Amino acid sequence: MAADLGEIKAMIEAALPGASVEVVDETGSGDHLAASVAAPQFEGLSRIDQHRLVKAAVKERFEDGTIHALSLKTTVPAS
Amino acid sequence: MADAELKQKVEELIAANAVLLFMKGTPEMPRCGFSMRVVQVLDAMDVEYGAVDVLPALRPLREVTAEISDWQTFPQLYVNGELLGGADIVEEMFDSGELAEALGVEQPEAAPAQSAPAQAPPLQIE
Repeated sequence: MAADLGEIKAMIEAALPGASVEVVDETGSGDHLAASVAAPQFEGLSRIDQHRLVKAAVKERFEDGTIHALSLKTTVPAS
Repeated sequence: MADAELKQKVEELIAANAVLLFMKGTPEMPRCGFSMRVVQVLDAMDVEYGAVDVLPALRPLREVTAEISDWQTFPQLYVNGELLGGADIVEEMFDSGELAEALGVEQPEAAPAQSAPAQAPPLQIE
């Protein structure tokens, strides 16, 4: 089943209020997604911790098999 | 629950190798595009590293790394006992020079070899 990109985006935004999130389907298969996330919550965190926050937000969709891979690009927004 | 014996082995490996890569396949023959990308970066850094092929015990190793590092996908690069990240993070840190800093080496001038043209990407999670 293909992931609902809008739902994935909403899940990340819900976990990281104020974040700007862009989710794209990398391969057209619907289960290998790429997301760019700029979130104020990332300030002071290592990249791995930034990625952990995003992955935790969409954990459910990994666990139910909707997504197989999520490439991430995380940034702290310029204030 | 992760297998306690395997978890201890993994912890020992992480402690014993300053730079340790858990990957699908071997550095000579990576079996996953993401793993290959990390190998290419490490080769470009000219750094010595240990490599563990996770494929023979993929599921138990996932359980172990989930407990140790809260991370279940491979590849995983550990530097001085800490998980640095997977392919995305390693490449980003390479580009920014942070990886060279973490490894304590000079930033190489040559970019790592580019991966083969896009194919169906390998699955990261079962």
